[in-house]
Amino acid sequence: MVVDPLYIIGAVAIGGVLIGGGVHFIPVGGAPAAIATATGVGTGTPMLAAGGGMTGLITAAAATTSPLWLVLLAGGAGSALMLGITMLVGNWVYIWGVGCVPSSAKVKYDPITKYEQSKFVTPGTEGHGIPTVCFVSGIIGGLLSGFGGALAYYFLYYGLIGTSGYAIPAGAYVSLGAATLAGTFSLGLFFVNSVIASFNIGGTIEGFHDPKFARLPRGALACIIASAVVGGLGVLLVQGGSF
Amino acid sequence: MANEKGWGPNSVDKRKTLAFGVVGGLAGIYLTPINPIIGPVLAALGAVCAIVWGADAISRVSSYGLGTGVPSIGYMSLAFSLVGALSGVSIAVYLGPHYTWLGPILGFVIAMLVGAIVAGLCLTVLRMKIPILMRCTIELAGAAALSVLGFSAAIAGSYALPNLLHSVIIPGYIALFFILNTMAIQHPFNACLGPNENRTRTLKLAFTTAFMVTGIVGLIAYPFTPAWWVIALVGGIGWYISVSAFIAASKEEAAEVKWTGWWPHDEEEFVQSVKEIKE
Repeated sequence: MVVDPLYIIGAVAIGGVLIGGGVHFIPVGGAPAAIATATGVGTGTPMLAAGGGMTGLITAAAATTSPLWLVLLAGGAGSALMLGITMLVGNWVYIWGVGCVPSSAKVKYDPITKYEQSKFVTPGTEGHGIPTVCFVSGIIGGLLSGFGGALAYYFLYYGLIGTSGYAIPAGAYVSLGAATLAGTFSLGLFFVNSVIASFNIGGTIEGFHDPKFARLPRGALACIIASAVVGGLGVLLVQGGSF
Repeated sequence: MANEKGWGPNSVDKRKTLAFGVVGGLAGIYLTPINPIIGPVLAALGAVCAIVWGADAISRVSSYGLGTGVPSIGYMSLAFSLVGALSGVSIAVYLGPHYTWLGPILGFVIAMLVGAIVAGLCLTVLRMKIPILMRCTIELAGAAALSVLGFSAAIAGSYALPNLLHSVIIPGYIALFFILNTMAIQHPFNACLGPNENRTRTLKLAFTTAFMVTGIVGLIAYPFTPAWWVIALVGGIGWYISVSAFIAASKEEAAEVKWTGWWPHDEEEFVQSVKEIKE
């Protein structure tokens, strides 16, 4: 399979938008959430991108020789699972460690469970923990970003193994060099887009019910341009593989 | 104290760190082929220069408060610089065997170009209001590219793509550099930030983290270069010197350094220990 350079740029650009858009769904709480005074996971987007992105890429890479849809599903499942575990265990710490009720100050009623929120928000804080709506939103974000990373990985990998430098060695099923390079490239794509998205939302967001979610189009525009440029670098990597 | 512009009376001259990083980094990478032992050590030292430059650049831009923490911009810059640096080396291969020497400089330039594009996007599309974001992202991208290329050349003993492929990409060290170099670049300011941040002290910590990475690079270079123990030794000695300088500087600038003892076992002991500390 020979991959056209435009496919690589396109796949990376679409993958980048999926990652950048996915980050807008993930409840990133930042430093305030780390001391349980805001809703979300108590860390920044780079850490969540590292966790979700790496797991998604490992699962996607494990499905390397499979068809595209399976690689995408594997990536999405890996990222969503990792983010789900992060949010679940984070919630255990918030509930049984800190002793607060998962609640959001951004909405009056949880859009999914219809539970009242304001009663449980400690005065002076923005909410605590990860309520149901944030959890669901986070899973959607993980799925989207996992799809994006796997898409970029798949096309770059098949682009690379078409060259003499990264070709699959005789007797092997995968090219280790191509898999490592494509994986590192996609991880880089994760970081670039998650940080651009993070700049867009000012570091923290709760999920699709957050008013900041309306900034999604601007973030997606920035992500698609930046990812297309990074995709161009991917083409250069493929071109240099023939030696 | 670092003022709003990030270059207060206690900050260092940004032209000096820039020259240190660019000249040191490129010289180290280009001197790699001179000798199988000294060359890789010089490449690793070049990467140390680049990391110190990057740490200064990230300190300047993060003094503004990005809203996302210091590490975020470091991870972003390392991500596109790593890809940019590798694509620069790839173009050099594509151009032909006579142009291999162009690789590192091309990677350096491409990384900075992508840095400029991403910073431009942040300023225009996302409407971020940080005037020095453009300059600092470009500097960070350049420093990140040189640090990755420096450590890669130290392990591979050359900056040509086939060598890098064999000893850096296939073993997966490239992904390790991603995290290691980001840590080395972003940690100093992340640890030292605050109202009385002294840039000289921050850069001493930058040398510490950079030499720490050098030591690790020396150890993981064991299967690929005979110079591995020299790199690890240089890293270890450099780390000892710089961490001593950093601790001395921290003690000098602290109001007082006092050992508070272990945590008390019961309340009486606690009250007693508080009294002792107050005295």
